[in-house]
Amino acid sequence: MSILDLENLSIDFPTSKGVVHAVTGVTLSVEKGRRVGFIGESGSGKTTTALAAMRMLAAPGFVSGGEIRLNALDHPNVLDLSDEEMRQVRLSKIAYIPQGAMNSLNPIMRIEHQIWDGIVAHEGGVSEAELKRRSNAALEGVGLDPKIVARLYPHELSGGMKQRVCIAIGTCLDPHLIIADEPTSALDVITQRHVMQTLREAQARIGAGLILIGHDMGLMTQSVDEIAVLKKGELVEYGPTQQIIETPQHPYTKELISSVPLVGGASFLDPAPATPAEGEHGDDPLLELRGVSKVYGNVTALHPMSFRLDGATPQIISIVGQSGSGKSTMGSLMLGFNPPSTGEVLFKGRDVYTQSAAEKLAFRKDVQAVFQDPYACFNPFYRVNHALKFPFERFGLSKGADHTRTAMEEACIAVGLAPETVLDRYPHQLSGGQRQRLIVARALMLSPKLLIADEPVSMVDASLRATILKNIHDLKDQHGISILYITHDLATAYHVSDYVMVLYKGHVVEAGPPKEVIGDPQHAYTRLLIDSIPWPELDRDWGSYESARAALDRLAEIETRPETVYRGEVPGFALSQG
Amino acid sequence: MGRIPADYLLNRLFTLFLTVFIAATLIWIIPRMSPINPVDVMIGRMAAGGGSVENSGAILAQLTERFGLNDPWYVQYWLYVRNTLTFDFGISTASFPTPVVTMIANALPWTLGLMLISLVITFVIGNLLGALMVWERTPRLWKVAIPAAMVFTSIPPILSGLLLMYVFSTQLGLFPLTGAYGLNVEPGWSWDFAASVLYHGFLPALSIVVVTFGFWALGMRGLMITVQGEDYTVLAKAKGLKPRYILYKYMIRNAILPQITAFALKIGMLVAGQVLVERIFAYNGMGKLLYDAILDQDFPVIQGVSFVIILMTALAVFLVDLIYPLIDPRIRHGEATS
Repeated sequence: MSILDLENLSIDFPTSKGVVHAVTGVTLSVEKGRRVGFIGESGSGKTTTALAAMRMLAAPGFVSGGEIRLNALDHPNVLDLSDEEMRQVRLSKIAYIPQGAMNSLNPIMRIEHQIWDGIVAHEGGVSEAELKRRSNAALEGVGLDPKIVARLYPHELSGGMKQRVCIAIGTCLDPHLIIADEPTSALDVITQRHVMQTLREAQARIGAGLILIGHDMGLMTQSVDEIAVLKKGELVEYGPTQQIIETPQHPYTKELISSVPLVGGASFLDPAPATPAEGEHGDDPLLELRGVSKVYGNVTALHPMSFRLDGATPQIISIVGQSGSGKSTMGSLMLGFNPPSTGEVLFKGRDVYTQSAAEKLAFRKDVQAVFQDPYACFNPFYRVNHALKFPFERFGLSKGADHTRTAMEEACIAVGLAPETVLDRYPHQLSGGQRQRLIVARALMLSPKLLIADEPVSMVDASLRATILKNIHDLKDQHGISILYITHDLATAYHVSDYVMVLYKGHVVEAGPPKEVIGDPQHAYTRLLIDSIPWPELDRDWGSYESARAALDRLAEIETRPETVYRGEVPGFALSQG
Repeated sequence: MGRIPADYLLNRLFTLFLTVFIAATLIWIIPRMSPINPVDVMIGRMAAGGGSVENSGAILAQLTERFGLNDPWYVQYWLYVRNTLTFDFGISTASFPTPVVTMIANALPWTLGLMLISLVITFVIGNLLGALMVWERTPRLWKVAIPAAMVFTSIPPILSGLLLMYVFSTQLGLFPLTGAYGLNVEPGWSWDFAASVLYHGFLPALSIVVVTFGFWALGMRGLMITVQGEDYTVLAKAKGLKPRYILYKYMIRNAILPQITAFALKIGMLVAGQVLVERIFAYNGMGKLLYDAILDQDFPVIQGVSFVIILMTALAVFLVDLIYPLIDPRIRHGEATS
């Protein structure tokens, strides 16, 4: 029996520039106990469709046509309910698990109170002992110990724990349907697997239907029974997961599947040119870390480590790890933004933190950065030209306005952007992918020797990731720039890098060429990371709820005895722990 | 949360003391940079009152001696610090020989009463209206009326006071024009006196509320818009919580936090805040005392009033530092802020 039926659903957003048809003519059903995935890129209407079922569309959006039927109700037509009736349906019949794990809980309320207020809003006066019993059961149901968690405030929990509290809230009234809106997008792969398994387990226990909203085909393959592919508000393909994965019909579905970079398989990069560009030749190595460590308060973010990057042959060195592994700390240390607690950072033989003002200026020109958030990298008040032009002129590279213009256009073309469509525009007029490529173009204009790219593609849509990584990879082959690529994504590191180091809690646990480290991991932690990746292949098992939990226990064990597994050398780079 | 750590308390107390000390030193220095000699002003006033002053030179010397104005600056400063710490602000030069502390003691309760009550009323009304401007369930009429009422914010309090006096006292005869209590009642702890005080305090309080609620409402509106977009507010709605519960426990409760800091700063300022309102309503509070003292070049009174203002501000900030962790669990006593 179906729980939810969407019948020819259309949703419009009237704006000052005319009506935007966010969703047009979507028809689908969710069966009891079934899991349906809504997949598409940002702006595809997947969240809007799901929110319409809860009548929670953001203003000014409204349902302009079609029907939403929730069959558990006496009067199933959701659109006919009064506001008060709709309020009673929420949580008790349809529960919502939000996207932002970090921010979804009221910061000034204890965890258990945030479960209680939901129960009280739907059942009225319930005794405190009964509330306590039920909130404890709900927390236990998502693998949290109520004795520890119930009385805490949200800021005292990790992201994964917060998201499991949201699942506990969503399932505490045994709803018929659960809508989970990218519930794991802010989490690392190991936590993602655990939270996703927790959600599936809770949903199966209460026999609810599940709508999982997401953009990651791999996660969908491993989590849902049916997949609905949305593009620009239209349902372009809908069917059982196996059928969608194995015989996709619509070109957009095929694109979504192929945009997931895989470990092994065909590379998305162009073959290297016959005569790759030369790097920097000098007496001193390009970048050297000598016994560098970083301690914040009583937390060691990075344990002492050393490496030497010659730079004569340009290379891409990947630093891989989860959030909190110390990888971004390493990036800021190398950029001269964050003095190390011990040891020294040397660029061309000079200590980055004690160099003179003139040396510092040269260092800033030679070492460029690409950061994670392409939205925060531009000053919104200036056209993007300003961001490109300003450093170019300030470092004295410009020979006049025409020369600057030519350099900007060349840089745009080098990253695959048509100059006339992006220059002279404001940042908000460009997409995230365009902005991130402009940031790469800006770095390129200064002909740096070293580029530090900290999660450069984690915030752009999947289909653009390969393109931007290709741009970055070209910097090495065609412009002779050495690159430090900081990422949590093992699959992209596998393809672009010459050498990979895997970081865990500030320790390098495994290091070597990517074919060895990622293709055939030896360290328990690296293996755990690889096992936690959801693959868009049905015959690859993502493991059970128990194995995901056991993985977390194994992590704690790894932490107690750090060791480094060296998997081979590459010329021009040397690494040691200590 | 819970108990306040001793080292944190000591640290805060030290900051409190240092703030008061530095500020007290400044208010000692600043009037001394003025070219006017207060004794001259006093003689001038005597002359204005009695036609001419016999032996004015001798009186001048005697008064200068009496006020310690001949002593070297460090002696004057040392005496000032010692006396200030014991709340001895000396003797008024304008209302000679009334001790300044007596004048402040007479004026302070009136100002605290009037200003604290109007500040609390303004805080409650302003924040509530600011919240209602954002809440999606607010009746449409209110959403139009509240921003329209903001027009009053642009009126200086002195004009709003005069306007209120004209309408309610002169034209309608509903409220008294001036004074803090009626001439027919005896000051003391009686119902008649209390009623008279409330009756007389109504218009000055209203004139303050009307022109200052917009400050709170606009601040609250901005904070509420942020909170409205937060994921926890969206989840609260998805949980099917009742709209009023969401408004109070999820939205206002989070949005109000920065406003509480602003409230503490205002407590210190309120003593001096509405000098002109007290002036036009002839309300014998600290504002009027300060106003008169400035006109009369009455250094001891200016210093005394300024010191009380500083002390109140510093104390209010100190108290907010102590209570803030109780209202926001994310803030802890003694944790370094970065």
